[in-house]
Amino acid sequence: MDRLGRVAKAWRAAVVLALAVLFCAGSLVGDDHWWPFGPWRMFSTSQAATGSVWSTGIEVQTADAPGQWVRAPLTPENVGLNRAEVEGRIPQIEADPSRLGTLARSHAQLRPTSAEWTALRVVRRLIVVVDRKPTGEVRTEVLAQWEAP
Amino acid sequence: MSTGTAGSAVTALTRLGRGVGRRFSGWLFAPMPLSRVAALRVLVFAFVIVDVVLLHTSGWYHGYADPVWYEPLVMGKVLHLPAASVLLVQVLKWGCVVAALAAMTGRAPRVLGWAVAVGWVWYQYVAFSYGKVDHDRADFVVALALLPTVGLAHLSDQRRSEAAGFALRAVQLAAVATYFLSSWAKVRFGGWDWVNSATMVRAVVRRGTPMAQWLLEVPWTLHWFQWVLMGAELTSPVIFLLSEKWRRRAVGGWFVFHAMTYGAITIAFWPHLVMMLAFLPLERYAAWLGERFARLRGGPAPTPPEGDSSPPRDADRSSRAPVGAAG
Repeated sequence: MDRLGRVAKAWRAAVVLALAVLFCAGSLVGDDHWWPFGPWRMFSTSQAATGSVWSTGIEVQTADAPGQWVRAPLTPENVGLNRAEVEGRIPQIEADPSRLGTLARSHAQLRPTSAEWTALRVVRRLIVVVDRKPTGEVRTEVLAQWEAP
Repeated sequence: MSTGTAGSAVTALTRLGRGVGRRFSGWLFAPMPLSRVAALRVLVFAFVIVDVVLLHTSGWYHGYADPVWYEPLVMGKVLHLPAASVLLVQVLKWGCVVAALAAMTGRAPRVLGWAVAVGWVWYQYVAFSYGKVDHDRADFVVALALLPTVGLAHLSDQRRSEAAGFALRAVQLAAVATYFLSSWAKVRFGGWDWVNSATMVRAVVRRGTPMAQWLLEVPWTLHWFQWVLMGAELTSPVIFLLSEKWRRRAVGGWFVFHAMTYGAITIAFWPHLVMMLAFLPLERYAAWLGERFARLRGGPAPTPPEGDSSPPRDADRSSRAPVGAAG
């Protein structure tokens, strides 16, 4: 059997201790910016049993069909960012809707063969939930809009 | 109280402290077969390849996102990491693949292992520095960082080593910490009332599969599930007290939970699932697979690793390989 010397054991124990301190500190006071030591908060937020669940998406107009809004996937493959990344920046987008233009540019780079986007808007759908059960009622609002110059 | 009694109390306490320290050290460095580390390494590096190519590709697409969306994390500020570019994500992705393939050969385990660690962590950083951090990928960093510390380990090397035991224990600890600390996060961010909230309803509404829609019709199911999940996470460290047989059942139970989650909302904590394998006698499964493979090819079955079919000699070997291993 291979045994470890005192020094080898001491530094390994110190590493485990340091990791434990960092992970616990991250969980106690850290936030996502501490990654990989941030809190493990998957599905940690509480959702009121009665209220609304919101879901954000984008709608675009293409050069092919101007004036007509169609839903487009808000996915990394399509615009370089995913839904949560856009949802987290709603205040910045509302303050400066021209940011949405960068999504159209990324789309053109990622999907060079599909029709160019001439306008893009962020839409929030509110799904009404009563007693942990969706009622079927959906409300839609437009949060920000960008048009190609 | 006389100085004599105080003195003997101190001596007793010191002795107790030393005893606890020795037991903890014995637990942290409990010798494990090198072949188990070798098997886990193969799985970890194979996972890295599948992960960067297929599973977790948001980092790749951030190469195409405008730098205006870049939001450096603490790690990026400390290390002065730049916003992603198409070139950077290509180097990181294919660098990870090449390094992981090389590391799977088992050669130069430290250099290649840590090269994979740096590449994978940086690639995750690129994925997470655009406003959304995935919360299931932190424990895998521990596996990538500490598995190389074992040094050379061959799949057929049945020797036990304290270095191997330590690396496996560290991986197990990180995996269980994920469960335990995520229950803490639920209390911290969601409050104790999290168990009675509609969090799972929200998850199913937002990304539920057709298979999961009935859960919305029967609201007590998801409500009850939240209680079970919280209970399982809070008691997850108990796995370290279980016998080998029950430990494997506990790991199986967690895998069932993750499979159900995947079926309902297509979310799986992939790297974490690989971490959980550190609880299993992987070298036995590898030997069994090798034997089956040899038999399939019609050749004579190779001799199973020493002690495989003989009765267990100590507590940790009390497990048997799956069906057919002994006969």
